[in-house]
Amino acid sequence: MKAKLTKAGLVASLAVGVLLTGCATDAPQDTWQPEGYYAREIDNLQRPVFYVAGIVGVIVTAAVLYCVIKFRARAGEEVVPHQSHGNTKLEIGLTLLSTLTLVAIVPSSVGTLWRVTNKPDNAMNVTVIGQQWWWEYQYDGMNIVTANELVIPEKTKIRLRITSRDVIHSFWIPKLNGKRDAVPNRYHTLNLESDGTGVYDGQCTEFCGLSHANMRQKAVVLSDADFKVWVANQQQNAAQPPAATMAAKGEETFIAQCVRCHQVNGLQNANGEPLQSQADEQLVSGAAPNLTHLMSRTTFAGGTFNLKNEGCDATPPGTPTGTTLECLNRSQLEAWLRNAPEEKPMYAILNDDKKYRGMPNLNLTEQQIDELVAYLATLK
Amino acid sequence: MAIIESTPQTLGKTLELTAAPVAVTPPATLGLLRRPMSTTGWKSWVFTVDHKKLGIMYGVSAFVFFVLGGFEALLIRIQLARPNGKFLSADVYNQMFTMHATTMVFLFVMPMAAAFANYFVPLQIGARDVAFPRINALGFWLFLFGAIFINLSWLLGGAADGGWFAYAPNTGTVFSPTHGMDFWALGLQITGIASLTGAINLIVTVINMRAPGMTMMRMPVFTWMIMVIQFLLVFAIPVISVALFLLTFSRLYGATFFDTQKGADPLLWQHLFWIFGHPEVYILILPSFGIVSEVLPVFSKKPLFGYNFVVFSGVAIGFMGWGVWAHHMFASGIGPISVTVFALTTMLIAIPTGVKIVNWVGTLWGGSLTFSTAMLFAIGLIIEFTIGGLSGVTHALAASDMQQTDTYYIVAHFHYVLFGGAIFGIMSGFYYWWPKIFGRMLNEKLGKLHFWLFVAGTNLTFGPMHIVGLQGQPRRMYLYPDGYGFGFWNLVESIGAFIIATGVLVFIINVVRTARGPANAPLDPWDARSLEWLTTSPPKEHNFDAIPHVHHLDEFFHQKYAEDENGNLVKVKTAEQLMAEQEAAKDAHIHLPSPSYWPMIISFAITMLALGVIYSLPLAIASAVVVLAGVYGWLLEPSVADDSDSDPAIHGSSDGKELAHG
Repeated sequence: MKAKLTKAGLVASLAVGVLLTGCATDAPQDTWQPEGYYAREIDNLQRPVFYVAGIVGVIVTAAVLYCVIKFRARAGEEVVPHQSHGNTKLEIGLTLLSTLTLVAIVPSSVGTLWRVTNKPDNAMNVTVIGQQWWWEYQYDGMNIVTANELVIPEKTKIRLRITSRDVIHSFWIPKLNGKRDAVPNRYHTLNLESDGTGVYDGQCTEFCGLSHANMRQKAVVLSDADFKVWVANQQQNAAQPPAATMAAKGEETFIAQCVRCHQVNGLQNANGEPLQSQADEQLVSGAAPNLTHLMSRTTFAGGTFNLKNEGCDATPPGTPTGTTLECLNRSQLEAWLRNAPEEKPMYAILNDDKKYRGMPNLNLTEQQIDELVAYLATLK
Repeated sequence: MAIIESTPQTLGKTLELTAAPVAVTPPATLGLLRRPMSTTGWKSWVFTVDHKKLGIMYGVSAFVFFVLGGFEALLIRIQLARPNGKFLSADVYNQMFTMHATTMVFLFVMPMAAAFANYFVPLQIGARDVAFPRINALGFWLFLFGAIFINLSWLLGGAADGGWFAYAPNTGTVFSPTHGMDFWALGLQITGIASLTGAINLIVTVINMRAPGMTMMRMPVFTWMIMVIQFLLVFAIPVISVALFLLTFSRLYGATFFDTQKGADPLLWQHLFWIFGHPEVYILILPSFGIVSEVLPVFSKKPLFGYNFVVFSGVAIGFMGWGVWAHHMFASGIGPISVTVFALTTMLIAIPTGVKIVNWVGTLWGGSLTFSTAMLFAIGLIIEFTIGGLSGVTHALAASDMQQTDTYYIVAHFHYVLFGGAIFGIMSGFYYWWPKIFGRMLNEKLGKLHFWLFVAGTNLTFGPMHIVGLQGQPRRMYLYPDGYGFGFWNLVESIGAFIIATGVLVFIINVVRTARGPANAPLDPWDARSLEWLTTSPPKEHNFDAIPHVHHLDEFFHQKYAEDENGNLVKVKTAEQLMAEQEAAKDAHIHLPSPSYWPMIISFAITMLALGVIYSLPLAIASAVVVLAGVYGWLLEPSVADDSDSDPAIHGSSDGKELAHG
């Protein structure tokens, strides 16, 4: 019995021990590996508290195990133990001690909270809009609308204003800060800052329906120079592909099928008039990702799939991040165009208001798919 | 005109108290329903108002839902065992985790607490039944029908898929087009009535029906904790009822409470849900705190250390539990001032919880400990719950909660609290009280196997969730991709879940074996301390031959033990001697409430009413008429049938009705 109970303690302390050392390599969303000011503030707060909690846990476990070993009934022992009803001084003392321990944590807890949430001076503002099941980013004053990959400059404080077009989502880049819910009819703020360049993964963390698990986001942090290049590229309209190429045929299909929901800036109809998507007539959320610079991203479909083959380093000319034709994950993109709801669970059937949630199956021919891919590859 | 005709025609008839209750032929009736009289067979269960039979039925039903909820958990764990799981579709997975939580919270832990409360509160305070026996029956049937109703949705187009927290607007018809959320909202409304009526009933029982000398501060801690949660229920259930009505009207009748297109603020639902939801957490855990506060003293042969502190910390938790709800919303965008306030209150509530743990350890300290299975589960609770409590303190730090919330770290936390806390306590209660309820001892060898499987399973399943949570694995994802470091620990978790399932299987085997075995339980198998042991096992229908007079906390212990000339405690009487004394001094007249059809009829009609609300207005109207008629039938039915009562009507009709008015 004694051995068994010690085992219980072993399991418990092992759990605590593993917990305390639980900093894995190869964990892109590890909350214990901060890469920027805000996440580090949180980390500085939680680390000591975890250690204190661990110590308290070990003390309680040890006290219980001590009792179990020391005070177990011995065979043949018939004496009724002293019927102690308690010890008021001990109770009050321990209550005060635990109160003081908690009070000691309060200043750093509240201080960190306010430092993390306060509005920074001279921040770059980005509006973040969640919808089933992807993110849209609108760069205030820059005339840039993009999706899923939030491109930001390093060592710069970013002020996000977060909202939603349908249900509640939650924006989270663990290595840069905690999370903040995206709630329709409300704007919530979240600060980000990164120490250096890199790509930081995140995931929608408020349950948002069918494909909640497939709503991913990244923060792509560029050097100042690269960021300027990226901005300049994003502000360009899409170029028209040369006539009679596959891409040009793809553009026709795009205009016929895709522009209903997906905006491509600079796209014109046969009369040379600019085309404006009307996603609000097709989709519950009223928005689909702007594809003007699709190839400046590395993922698609709400960050679910790699647009860029893994291990492929090249970036398209004129932009510091994105996918070249050689690196294009063509098979996945084709599969998506062939039957999107098969690739990612979506309510892509018409509801009572004749609207979809997510991208429907467009019943494209293989020929059309090839042409569309050729066109999309031009959207750098 | 009374719907039930009950002619007093058996004047002077007395019932043998020591023998099995005598079946009395019901009188001829002119009314609608002949009063049920069966004391054996299925009718004696279905129409019973006996708190013990209702307690057992609560327990059996809740356990069935525990197995169902556990089955759902296993499907979830199979899906998550490896990255990119393909076992369940996203749609089915979302229904599965919604129903797993709903089942475990509303259909297992809450009714299981009701099972223990129903069975033991009257026994612990020396009463013959609860204050309102028919309302007690109504509560049980509402719970059972409501629970079945919620699960009917599996067969009728799909279960609820919006999570147990059901955040608006994701639960609107646009985003959740099946009837699953309707079944969920209306079903919980029905079980809510059960909780509410049960709460009123137990509060009145505890306040009014304690045996002579049983002051509040002589009540067993289990009864105290049950009373605290009944008060929580009385105030919390109306909040969720309102929320569920808003949801139902939004979904079925186009109300716009949560319609963001019309300008609704979705945070309304979150506040309503968590104002209910956080007291609910204490509703789930306090019964188990009560159980271990009974078990630890018995197997330490010492009174509970710091009884006053345990009671008052329980009451304090009951009060403070109302001031912490928004800590579920630290990332919801309620603003840093609100977050600061709720972060502070959340830290404060850790203090009374810590007080309890200190007192449990204090109870063990200096005792003479025997490690029955009940004791092992109680000790297990102290350690497992402490782990859950400490992780709770870490997310009281609002800033770090911004990282932890909606990750598996939270899943780990509340499973340590609910599995390592509430369920370990419930299991402790099973092994402790089984001989009292059924007169049979559960096998201790199998029990210990059960315990160690649970300890291993709990820590393997929920321990690694801390790690993957802090590594950034969010909750409620039907799959997780490769390459995030989640795979290994998720596999361990899934293995742990099956170890827990094996533990449950061992328990079921133990129960079946015990049921087939002889009635082998001694009168006082654990040398217990409280009044429920001062009667036969199982207790007689009227609980006590003579209502005990109470002079101490731990009255039963004090009747057995006295100080000798050296001041040492020695056993002066055995339980058998005390029992014989009681039987010799039995009360001349014992009044027991009579069975009734009405609770069953009304609860069934309410359930049909809910079904009608979803599918068919005529059915709803017809059911509403039955409910209304049922209420009249109930009102006109004497609470005690003249001819079934052991009290002869010769003593005056008012006598026979003084105990039960329900």
